[in-house]
Amino acid sequence: MAKKYGDFIALHPLNVEVHAGEFFGVFGPNGAGKSTFIKLLTGQLRPSKGRIEVLGVDAVSDPQKVKANIGIVPESESPPSFLTPVEFLEFVAKLRSVDRIDDNVEHWIDWFGLDEKRDTMCKDLSKGQRQKVMLAAAFIHKPKLLFLDEPFANLDPIYQRKCRQWLLEHVKNGGTIFLCSHVLEMAERMCNRMAIINNGKVLAAGTVKGLKTSDEETLEDVFIRLVGRSIEDVERLSNEGVKDGETEEE
Amino acid sequence: MPGVSVVSRDWEEAVGDGHSLKEPLGTSSHEQRLHEPLRGWNAFSATFRVMFKEEGRKSIEFAKKRQIVLFPLLLTLVTAVTTIGLQFLVGDSTAQVSDLESKTFTWDELRFALHLPLLMFSLGMGTFAFMGHDAIVHRAGTKNYLLAAPALQPLPNSVAHFAYFVKDLCFYVMLILTPVVSGMALGILLESAANITTPLVWSSLPWTWLAMIITLAQGLAIAFFASALWMRGRPYTILGPAIIVALGIAIGLGKFDIGSMLWGLGVQNSQNPFTALLALAGSVGLGWLSSTLIIDDFDVSVVERKELFIPIYNRLGFLGRGEIRLIVAKEFVDLFRSGSLKKMTVSYAIPLLVLLGMAWLVDFAEAPIPINLLSYAPFLGFFGFNFYSWLTILDSPEFMNGLPLRVPQLIRAKVVVYFLATSWISLIFIILMAWRLDEWGALPTSIIVMFANSVYIVALTAFLMGLRPNRAIFDASIMIWFWIGTVVPLLLLFLLSFTQGDVSLYGNWWERASQDGLAATAAMYDQSMVEQGYKGMIAISVGLILASALLWKLMDRRWGKAEFSN
Repeated sequence: MAKKYGDFIALHPLNVEVHAGEFFGVFGPNGAGKSTFIKLLTGQLRPSKGRIEVLGVDAVSDPQKVKANIGIVPESESPPSFLTPVEFLEFVAKLRSVDRIDDNVEHWIDWFGLDEKRDTMCKDLSKGQRQKVMLAAAFIHKPKLLFLDEPFANLDPIYQRKCRQWLLEHVKNGGTIFLCSHVLEMAERMCNRMAIINNGKVLAAGTVKGLKTSDEETLEDVFIRLVGRSIEDVERLSNEGVKDGETEEE
Repeated sequence: MPGVSVVSRDWEEAVGDGHSLKEPLGTSSHEQRLHEPLRGWNAFSATFRVMFKEEGRKSIEFAKKRQIVLFPLLLTLVTAVTTIGLQFLVGDSTAQVSDLESKTFTWDELRFALHLPLLMFSLGMGTFAFMGHDAIVHRAGTKNYLLAAPALQPLPNSVAHFAYFVKDLCFYVMLILTPVVSGMALGILLESAANITTPLVWSSLPWTWLAMIITLAQGLAIAFFASALWMRGRPYTILGPAIIVALGIAIGLGKFDIGSMLWGLGVQNSQNPFTALLALAGSVGLGWLSSTLIIDDFDVSVVERKELFIPIYNRLGFLGRGEIRLIVAKEFVDLFRSGSLKKMTVSYAIPLLVLLGMAWLVDFAEAPIPINLLSYAPFLGFFGFNFYSWLTILDSPEFMNGLPLRVPQLIRAKVVVYFLATSWISLIFIILMAWRLDEWGALPTSIIVMFANSVYIVALTAFLMGLRPNRAIFDASIMIWFWIGTVVPLLLLFLLSFTQGDVSLYGNWWERASQDGLAATAAMYDQSMVEQGYKGMIAISVGLILASALLWKLMDRRWGKAEFSN
């Protein structure tokens, strides 16, 4: 698959194959093409070239069926502003033909600690609370395959840990997770395999250990090396920043 | 084989587009039973109910509960009073004497006057394809709506749009049409309670209600259809406006009877259940057809653009060095980049082209009402509300909460943008009209009247409704002031304009009309009336400019403490 906007190539042609039971992460700097990647796979975008198949369903010709069988947590989208968390989850559960809707909604409201905010319109929730509602909406139909784009960006550490554990358990039970992020710590903690992407191109892919050239090299070093910066370059940039700050204060 | 394979290649190496090569790629669901997404009625019913709730909350958020309840009550009251007054309009009053009956309206004229404005209103409110596109583009912003749900949920975009169409129809029926018919019922009730005579009968009310629903549905469906075609790009973006202009001119020339195009009016006249069912099904069917034209496209194109902000900012030197200049430049960038400028310009120009086409083909000397150049000038102000409403939804202004700016500055900037973006169209139109009607003498006055009106209407809209004009329509306290503030001066200007123009041809209509009503005929030239009318128009225009300046000043008091939100 590939995606182009006019002359701008958002995602260079890419062959990707992810197998069941994987916790696969795509990492890259801001604007690397991670969200385009995930939007193509989830039927939110049509590829300019190529084909996409998810769970045996063609994501270009039948995106509805793909969406019906996966869970998506987008990077920056909020739940509908004028619905309460309970109403939004009920709506999603109905669309996804979830059994025992009331019980399921209650379970996830409780799981995310949203009980006190259950009747508050989503526009009046904090960013983190809105993120919890989006996560609950992605989990409520218990999909085997989850696509998560920066899923913990606004969560507090307690819920980050709780979600991490749930996701790891999900994979242990046969689920598959496709995650996009620029937080490398998540790769080390969670991913079986990962790819590093920049300017719409995959630079390297493999296990976390396999990407390192030596035991001393950290994942951050790998990342800096692959996206085309030398360690010295990055250190020089950091030092320049400090010097600028000092000059301004002086 | 377990594991992951991810390989990037060069652009040229990839073959085919997303639609070619139909053989399966070999993925599977791993014996997991796949869910079928909800389609058709099931998807519609699951969405409609929640959308209805969402709409209620949106309206209440802006207008507060009290005002939302007050709006239908006010409509009921106004209609009840109008129902009592109907006897004078149709000549059924015992107070009227027989020789004055020629002045009264026929029932056909009154029904037409009920349905035409309703159609116009619904045409203005039904551009759902534009709304859907905006909701999808802005879904990553601070506000998100169910209309954008198909991007993530297994819900076809067409179903979401159709649910939105039906939801809006139900909402307007509930908040506008039902209170109007209730007002008629109240008027009839007063007949027995207060010994007042009303010409309406109980049996006509269900038909009036149903007929109005049909007109409303028809207008919403036509606007939905037009916007859905527009979103599909060329050739519809050229063909559509051309057809509308041609149709408008044909109606103006009498080639088409507009009455026959108002399905609701036909139903009210015939009171035939089969016709009613057919018309309602036709309107809803057109809405459904429009929804099928909406494609599942959630692409927000990422295109690199040349720097626009500074070039525009540099051209706005006449606005000084303050914040207004900065905001106006930003608003213009939004206008260009969002593609809305084309949409707005076309929608602003269409009615003007229709009028121009009519002026080209009709000899207004034969018209019963002596339309002249000065009659067109106030007419242009009417479009200000729509244009300003669009300007307020171009972008979410929330980011300004963190900047040293205030809401009145943004509102003023939008008024300036409106004026700069549309005044040249109005000016060209009025000059072409002056040329066509050969009324060069009236041109300077027409320009003054036109600009005074345009600025005033937009300043009033901005003052009353701030950054959320679309949500203010159900706020009774705002709409009362808006109605008084617009109808009174515009009506005065229209009436006074009939005293002007080539009076030697069609005489002093106002004077004649005051004596003979609709049976007025041409009379001789009356110099004193012309002078008075002229002075009156200038005085009203100066008054409107002063009122605009006052509203401009009062903007700080009304919106100074508001937060940036649309």
